[in-house]
Amino acid sequence: MTVVEAHDVSRVFPMPAGPVVAVRDVTLGIEAGEHVAISGPSGCGKSTLLHLLGCVDAPSQGSLVFEGRDVSTLTDRQRSVIRLTRIGFVFQRFFLLPMLTAAENVELPQAEAGSPKAERQRRTRELLEYVGLGARADHRPSQLSGGEMQRVAIARALANRPRLLLADEPTGELDHATGEQIATLLDRVNADGTALVIVTHDQTLASRAHRTLTMRDGRICDS
Amino acid sequence: MSALAFAWRGLVRQPARAGLGILGVAAVGALLFDMLLLSEGLVLSMRDLLERVGFDVRVRATMALPGSGPGIADAGRLTAAIAALPEVGEAVALGLGYAEIDRAGGRRPLAVDFVGADTSRRRVWTVTAGRDIADGHDARGGELLVNQNVASRLGATLGDVIQLRASCMHQTSALPQATFTLVGIAEFPFDTVRQMTAATTFADFGIACGAPGSADADMILVASAEGGDAETTRDAIARLRPDLNPMTNEQMVGLVQQSGLSYFRQISAVLMTVTMSFGMLLITVLLTVSVNQRLAEIAALRALGFSQRRVVLDVLCESALLVGLGGLLALPLGAALAVWLDGILKRMPGLPVKLHFFVFEPQALAIHVSLLVATAVIAALYPMWLVARLPIATTLRNEVIS
Repeated sequence: MTVVEAHDVSRVFPMPAGPVVAVRDVTLGIEAGEHVAISGPSGCGKSTLLHLLGCVDAPSQGSLVFEGRDVSTLTDRQRSVIRLTRIGFVFQRFFLLPMLTAAENVELPQAEAGSPKAERQRRTRELLEYVGLGARADHRPSQLSGGEMQRVAIARALANRPRLLLADEPTGELDHATGEQIATLLDRVNADGTALVIVTHDQTLASRAHRTLTMRDGRICDS
Repeated sequence: MSALAFAWRGLVRQPARAGLGILGVAAVGALLFDMLLLSEGLVLSMRDLLERVGFDVRVRATMALPGSGPGIADAGRLTAAIAALPEVGEAVALGLGYAEIDRAGGRRPLAVDFVGADTSRRRVWTVTAGRDIADGHDARGGELLVNQNVASRLGATLGDVIQLRASCMHQTSALPQATFTLVGIAEFPFDTVRQMTAATTFADFGIACGAPGSADADMILVASAEGGDAETTRDAIARLRPDLNPMTNEQMVGLVQQSGLSYFRQISAVLMTVTMSFGMLLITVLLTVSVNQRLAEIAALRALGFSQRRVVLDVLCESALLVGLGGLLALPLGAALAVWLDGILKRMPGLPVKLHFFVFEPQALAIHVSLLVATAVIAALYPMWLVARLPIATTLRNEVIS
């Protein structure tokens, strides 16, 4: 079953020097449980495509269908609900909230989704154990290493049991060994049933995917 | 985590900035609170002084302020006629004049304000030592009350015989000395800090003024009958003597306001607007800086599914917390400042001791809270707009590029 489909999707950014086409006529489908890597040189449109697939951005042309619903017909509120409950995001720079503990960071999306407190706490413990940080639940991001912060970010992304996990350069800020650990963790997330799309420069990380898409000048040139 | 709790954690995250913001709002809020107290303070204080005595209508010959203008002739008979009206509970003639009290040792006589009023259930003064004056004039003369200033300057004690020479209601001819016995020390509501005041019965005031039984009154103080209201009483007196000018306390306050107190309201309105603007700018700057520093974080929250409404609410809650905590601190700070400023302003000459410029009333507190709520909302508008319009993807991309 297809989770998200892009049909002839383009994304154009108006710039003072003239419009810049970041994504050009991309047609793509991500199946449930699939592991897809998007690679390519800097500025080729990988992150923009990821944002489109994650309903964070809207295409300038073409259509995007998430679980059978045309995203362009949805309100901002409806897109927020999809992102909150059906999609997980992992960022290169983690973006954990520094004033919250690891557990509170993981609890936050669940609270926003209206999950009861007891359920949230149970799920948070379970997720922190899953990413190997059960003992670090009460630590703030400043007390964690880069790899640990990315693990918390993955736990946060999985908090509301998303069908699709989008990761933008998830190992970009980490050393090779730590990046390897994060890649293994993401493989495990995918193996447990969550569709995974990773944007990466790292060919080793890309090679772990079921399918690798290479982008150039906003187009998918190889898959 | 609720938006309020989230905003609280955001403030605690940068305690120095939050602390400075709260202190800034406290300072601005204290000034705002004081301006609110000042805007109505004199009016409230004046009304309190007028009502404290227990009379709700004052009858004068003209609209001139007390102590000026023509007197009311044949006041004794008129007072009795007013007292007989069914709308009236009590009427008291009040004579105002000046007197010089002889002092021993060849010292210059002491100039005092001289008050004559019939003793009644409601007193124009409050006796603080000795007893009140009583009706009846015997061979030793009448009875006299003085305020503490007079007692101190004379070095007089209760029971002393006091000789005074009165000057009443524009009389220009020299009057003989009158003899009084000092029976008590009293506080007079409209006394200034250095004012010298002496009081006796209206009858003895008449004798001292050389018009026994027919002295002019400066005004007649009237208390409405039980259950009656001041307007009805005033109308009844106006019907009885259309040539006189009966005024309710409210009208008196209005008259005093017209004669200069409205400046304080205008000044406080201008200063309130300025302080509120400063408060708004302060909060807007703090929140805008805070939001700008957290743009990527907010964009990430939006990407994680936080709604536009939620992130906007976070900013509003942060503003509410800054203003709320600052506003709470502003109350004791404003109260202390009001006491200090009141002391300074009351040094102006000619002001009654019991008159205050800063008077607390619940309405001022309600307006203070409302203005702070408005400040919190208006100050948060621009940062809320920034957050609401935040392009998620562009912000995330810019963060990575930077």
